[in-house]
Amino acid sequence: MYDYIVIGAGVIGSAIARELARYEAKTLVLEKENDVANVQSLANSAIIHSGHNPTPNSLKAILAVKGNKLYDEMEKELDIPLLRTGAYVIAHNEAEEKVLEELTETTRMNGVSEYALIDYETAKISEPNLASSITKVLSLPTTKVTYPWEVAFACMENAVMNGVEFRKNCEVTDIVTTDSGFLVKVNKRDIIKTKYIINAAGVCTDDIAKMVEREVPYKIQGRIGEYYVLDKRVKGFANHVLYPLPTELGKGVLITPQYHGEILLGPNSKTVDNKHHPSTSFEGLKYVKENAALLADNIPFNQIIRSFAGIRSSADVEDFYIKESKEVKGFYHLGAIESPGLTAMFAIAKYLLDDIIKISQKYSLKTDFNPYRKKPLKFNTLSLEDKKQLIAKDPLYANLICKCEKITEREILNAMHGVLGSDTIKGIKKRTRAGAGLCQGGYCEEKVMKLIAREFNKSPLEISYDLNETKLFVEETKVKKNV
Amino acid sequence: MYEIIVIGGGASGLAAAISAKKANKKVLLIEREHSLGGILNQCIHNGFGLEVFKEEYTGPEYAYKYIEEFNDLNIDYLTDTTAMNLVKRDNIYTVSVSSVKNGLLDYECEAIIISSGCYERTRGQIIMPGDRPNGVITAGSAQRYLNINGYLVGKRVFILGSGDIGLIMARRMHLEGAEVLGVAEIMPYSNGLTRNIVQCLNDFEIPLYLSHTVTNVISDEFKRLKSIVIQAVDENFNPIEGTQKAFDVDTLLLSIGLIPDITLLDDLSVEVDPKTKSAKINQAYETSVEGLFICGNSLQVHDLVDNVSKESERAGRCAAMYLDKVIKTRKKINIVPKKNILFVTPQFIDFGWEFTDLIVSFRANKKIEKALLKISQNEKVIFQKRLFFVVPAEMETVSFPYKDLDKESDLVIELEEL
Amino acid sequence: MSKEFICIVCPRGCHIHVDKDMNITGNQCKRGIDYVRTEMTAPKRTLTTTVRTIFEDIPRVSVKTDKPIAKELIYQAMKEINEVLVKKRLRIGDVIIPEILDTDVNIVITKSMELEGYQ
Repeated sequence: MYDYIVIGAGVIGSAIARELARYEAKTLVLEKENDVANVQSLANSAIIHSGHNPTPNSLKAILAVKGNKLYDEMEKELDIPLLRTGAYVIAHNEAEEKVLEELTETTRMNGVSEYALIDYETAKISEPNLASSITKVLSLPTTKVTYPWEVAFACMENAVMNGVEFRKNCEVTDIVTTDSGFLVKVNKRDIIKTKYIINAAGVCTDDIAKMVEREVPYKIQGRIGEYYVLDKRVKGFANHVLYPLPTELGKGVLITPQYHGEILLGPNSKTVDNKHHPSTSFEGLKYVKENAALLADNIPFNQIIRSFAGIRSSADVEDFYIKESKEVKGFYHLGAIESPGLTAMFAIAKYLLDDIIKISQKYSLKTDFNPYRKKPLKFNTLSLEDKKQLIAKDPLYANLICKCEKITEREILNAMHGVLGSDTIKGIKKRTRAGAGLCQGGYCEEKVMKLIAREFNKSPLEISYDLNETKLFVEETKVKKNV
Repeated sequence: MYEIIVIGGGASGLAAAISAKKANKKVLLIEREHSLGGILNQCIHNGFGLEVFKEEYTGPEYAYKYIEEFNDLNIDYLTDTTAMNLVKRDNIYTVSVSSVKNGLLDYECEAIIISSGCYERTRGQIIMPGDRPNGVITAGSAQRYLNINGYLVGKRVFILGSGDIGLIMARRMHLEGAEVLGVAEIMPYSNGLTRNIVQCLNDFEIPLYLSHTVTNVISDEFKRLKSIVIQAVDENFNPIEGTQKAFDVDTLLLSIGLIPDITLLDDLSVEVDPKTKSAKINQAYETSVEGLFICGNSLQVHDLVDNVSKESERAGRCAAMYLDKVIKTRKKINIVPKKNILFVTPQFIDFGWEFTDLIVSFRANKKIEKALLKISQNEKVIFQKRLFFVVPAEMETVSFPYKDLDKESDLVIELEEL
Repeated sequence: MSKEFICIVCPRGCHIHVDKDMNITGNQCKRGIDYVRTEMTAPKRTLTTTVRTIFEDIPRVSVKTDKPIAKELIYQAMKEINEVLVKKRLRIGDVIIPEILDTDVNIVITKSMELEGYQ
């Protein structure tokens, strides 16, 4: 019997798991995908917003500003990647400048610690490619950029190291309420007992809630956001996150420098019926190009290495829904976590545990909780001397697997066998960036495949790109099939 | 210390190293894979060598001819070794390499030949809307998995792109037991050799959909490819409504272009030609950085390996000449592509290199049945030639003597439709 | 009845026209004439494929028909070739199936299987 089952291992579920790990509470995280951070947390802008535009006094506003600050602390504890870019929200004319001024007032009301309205000439000094049609800019220095699934990995690794259990490929298919808590059915088959449930299932939060409540207080639709990725060779083209003025559709098409040097253009915003199928479209990508061009001049579109679409929750309620269920005690909603979810994640976890669950009244703190987690070594960032020393002890650091991102065999093996290891091509790509660069796996996918086969003693026929059910190969040629 | 280092041990690197060694230079060749031969090792089909050897070989056989000569000349080489970095200081190049056998090492030399081939264009670089399931893979990757490792990436296949690699893989997948439902080509004509249309598609009744492209990709619930939609396109390559055709497939092979691999040049400020996507060169295969030579597919994507070998052999000789310090005072003029020319190499003529003949390679930007190639300077034609059935899919190479050129004015190359 | 062919003997791919009186035009060399004649009566093709080996470092080795084989025998030839398991390190030109399907065509190795690259 568990104390807490957390459903969902995206950034929210991972942050909650890490907070729960501080307490003497037996915690299990169930994730239906084959990896941590595989849905919403995988495909977004990666921005830690300043908290400049949510409605004042909303949870979104309060937790975004708190969450933004917490990232500085978490950077030290969890060794997460942070790029301190700052941001510019831009206006092109007098009418837009008026809106910008209103936005500045919202920024002030939300308690954002640093902000300033500056003119185009001043803004251009540190942002040389800023579109010449821009007149005024709201500067938000506290805006940062991270790498969302690395943040989720960091939280979940630390949680697991501190005693939290994590299971992937576990879809919650039914929940039965009992006197002492809940029976959670997984994959239509296994039954796990728990006192409490924390529903952090992202786009599926309303589906999970339906298993327990008669009237779910929110409905989640899917909203597709399409992006272009420019190769890291354009690093320096933009230094800040560039926002247009926000609309009801959201924050709009942005230009976002990424932690590893690439630049993201996007997203658009398109509500869809099927919340499980993020797909790109001609119109969507065209919209991204056209609107990105309003922010900067001479965007190097010829450096596009890929495009992708992410699904985001789009709820029918205004604010984050972080409450205990009105119908069923012990069932906690993390519903309607849309933007600024990534920004607020650490504050959301603390808010849930301190304000909603009031966990210190239920469980004591672990005396041996270790808040620190070190990120995996990125060999190419070491000095030449350090590299040579490391190779002398471990020659696999000299075997270059991914030529484009300069990833070595040892780094890949570490990613396979780590605390949150993976045996899929995509899992390795998320952890090491092997296959995420210029040639998109053309040179290295075969090598990674062979390493997976060797390390996990698998036939290549058993190797998956992502989901277990979907294999890289359909058959081996010239081999008699078993009758 | 070596005099010349060749990066890449495929068709290009082998030919360049051989000719540099024959010119009595100290040569080192660096190859990332375990074996020499490059992409030829997985090109098990024939059609190679008709020009160089007057005989038809398969890829591995063609490679072996060069590997034998390479070994007979006792040229130094490293395999399982990746070139990580290339810098130049005071006229000395330093190549940093990494290998399990030797760790991190630096090699110095006076001249470099880049023969690093090319990589395949992927889905991400074109707009192909839809889901992103497993099962969309480049034709070259599928070829490697099939011919080297023995695995089929799918059983129901559609192919985008009718270049030779797409056509070859249509036949190959089919013969190994997959159903190949068709090939779509966005242009109104095929990119590949006509003989391949016959022996890869017609022979097996695999339909070719010209002026079509893939406009939707649909995934099943397990993130595997389930079906694709192709549509006819108009003269501006925009999809035409109402022409959608759906195919139930588990694999979409992409044969949508090759991109020269010049990533090793990142730390040197070479001038790049956005049309070839590679370094600009002079008539000696030398980039804008002196002593840095480039040839083969990493210079310009070739259609026939025979031309790669011939080009690389010349580049090797030029690198050797560079070391002999026979280059006179450098003075550059441009060769400017104009009417109906997609790109031209070389992009410069450097009068420091004294050759009798100028060898120029180019691609037309459209199909022209009867064409007149004109190379002029100051509006005066210095070379012209009639060409028939010029298509973008076939790179043309012409050679002509040049002397007494004006050293101050650019050359212009154009194709006139007759 | 006249017919159109595309010669596949070399990469030029000449468009060859045969009229109802069997006059052949469009070829740029003699091989084109032979090709078209064969294509009309008993079409042949060169088959290139791979065979399985027992070696981990080279699990498949490339092979070819040493001369064109009757087009209608291709699938059967593939079946026979797929039965082969190479157990020795062979050289280019070694025959693995002599006179396949009772023809005068041999299946030969096209890639050297020697160990250690070519060091």
